[in-house]
Amino acid sequence: MRWASKAAGAAYAERVRDNPDGQAMDAPWFAKRPVSAVRPGDHAWLAYSGAEERDRVIGTFVQEGLRTNEKVVYVTDAAPELLPGLGPAHRVDVEAYARTGQLRLISRREACLDRRGGFEPAMMLETLGREVDLAFGQGFRAVRLTTDHSWLLSGPGRPDLGPMLGCEHRVGDAVSPSTMAMAICQIDRHACAPDELLALRDTHEVLVEVNPEFDDGILKIVRTFEPNGLRVEGELDAARHAVFAEKLTQVSADRHRVHLDLSRLGFIDLGGLHLLARHATGLPAGRALVLDHLPADVEHVIEMVGWHRLPGLARGDGALPETEGVS
Amino acid sequence: MSLEHRALLYGDMESFVEATVPFLESGLEREQAVIAVAREPGLSALRDILKPHGNAVLYFDSARFYEHPVRTLRDYQTIVRQSEPRTVCALAEPVWDGWTELQTREWVRYESLINVVFAHSGARALCPYDTAQLAPRIIEDARRTHPVVVGDGHDGANDAYVDPARLGMGCDRARRFDRPGASEYMAIDGADLHALRAFVAERATAHGLGRRPAQNLVTAVNEVAANALQHGVPPMGLWIWRDGDDLVCEIGDNGFWRPSPLTGFIPPDSALQRGFGLWTVRLLVDLMELRAGWDGTFVRLHVRR
Repeated sequence: MRWASKAAGAAYAERVRDNPDGQAMDAPWFAKRPVSAVRPGDHAWLAYSGAEERDRVIGTFVQEGLRTNEKVVYVTDAAPELLPGLGPAHRVDVEAYARTGQLRLISRREACLDRRGGFEPAMMLETLGREVDLAFGQGFRAVRLTTDHSWLLSGPGRPDLGPMLGCEHRVGDAVSPSTMAMAICQIDRHACAPDELLALRDTHEVLVEVNPEFDDGILKIVRTFEPNGLRVEGELDAARHAVFAEKLTQVSADRHRVHLDLSRLGFIDLGGLHLLARHATGLPAGRALVLDHLPADVEHVIEMVGWHRLPGLARGDGALPETEGVS
Repeated sequence: MSLEHRALLYGDMESFVEATVPFLESGLEREQAVIAVAREPGLSALRDILKPHGNAVLYFDSARFYEHPVRTLRDYQTIVRQSEPRTVCALAEPVWDGWTELQTREWVRYESLINVVFAHSGARALCPYDTAQLAPRIIEDARRTHPVVVGDGHDGANDAYVDPARLGMGCDRARRFDRPGASEYMAIDGADLHALRAFVAERATAHGLGRRPAQNLVTAVNEVAANALQHGVPPMGLWIWRDGDDLVCEIGDNGFWRPSPLTGFIPPDSALQRGFGLWTVRLLVDLMELRAGWDGTFVRLHVRR
């Protein structure tokens, strides 16, 4: 099979360390990328919290491929109209794309099941290799592969994790040096136990997430789904209050409690604290705005003025999460 | 509930104890929250004498409690708030040695602000002044900041008392605002303060400020600059210079503003109240000066390394 080759290059996206205390020497290193930055050579991981998060990542992945003359290979048993990015709202002519070979929807049986219906990693690898080979001949500049593994890990008669890990390693080995292939492995993060989820995640080098809601190089706002909220990175100041308030209002629209992940917030001005308190006091009674992973410098300012002067704000989780890409 | 704010003039340890012990015990009798903030050796003497009352009295060393007037006022307010529904009975002995002229003026202002901030708290505060050690002008200031003066032949009546707003105005007027020629200048134009923050952070680090004070200064400068952008009149800009161990930042605009002399001194109840920004700026830096004149509005921030 032809995966095409490329020199092993370091990912230029920021790399995040798995374990913030730096103690675990065998902790893997990941590149974390918004979905639009996924590129050939990426064997990426998406542990989604629900349909909304999955659709926003995979839908974008699929649609951007179709728009830019890249081949999309989706291993699934679901009907096309139920797939991310292909549903009726997206007005994609599935049949036309299928005819030209740009969109390949391959059933599990065809892709990776043996005659008894059991999962066969070697078959999966062959399938993917074949599709990449074909794409090269068809003149596509890249191939986007994706499948949802959740079904393998839930339900009766699920296989051991071993073959799956082996499969993922081999897919990773095949995709990583490729100049054509990029893959996103999806999994419902509730489909298996946390330790299994971590083990599976660790077979990927890239963590994929939704595209940021806003990013001007100073402030970046990323939607989070579990918990529901926003990750606010960089510097929040008066020039960016309006866009932040808008995103905060959007994410507060339903009845979920809103969490802000501030682990990468370098600066917030006093007007920003005022904005948070004003927003929080406008929430229905008893629904606090939760500030997770407060950096020490930001927490210091809040403690200096006193939490009681910031009504409606609640201190959430303190430590950085050790389960990036999982929870 | 009104405030009782008295200065106690004492000349020796005996007269200190004679006045302060009955004051604190009266607080216990009235079931007030009783705290004793005093300098040594007076603090230890009080601990000894009031030992029978056990933990009923909270003790603080003035040397630690009086480090920064805006923070001290905030801390007293926290004590008042946390003691509710009980009212507070506080022995409150300030520290007057080791300050510069500028700092002393802010501590005098602080004593005066007590009358405003706690006006309706029902608190009773007795502020001891050591006439044997303190300079006569400190004692004079005590008369201007306390409605009632007792001890050392005083029976309470004090016609030297000055209304806090008027006293604050006097503090501001006494201020000189010359700027050294060697200061650096950065114009504030456009709405984005990112570059200004980077500039101040770099100068703060070069001056030898620690990470936390440097970050606090950046937050303070940003707030004053954002305020100038929102309410001020161009041209506006930042001057920054070193004054010995102090790093001084001054943000100026051409706007005409007549703030109340109490602006930004009264701790707001919440971030949603007016004055939260300016008050927090005062908390963040060692000293903040505000001059609003015919030629513009200038806010000067001092941080010591």
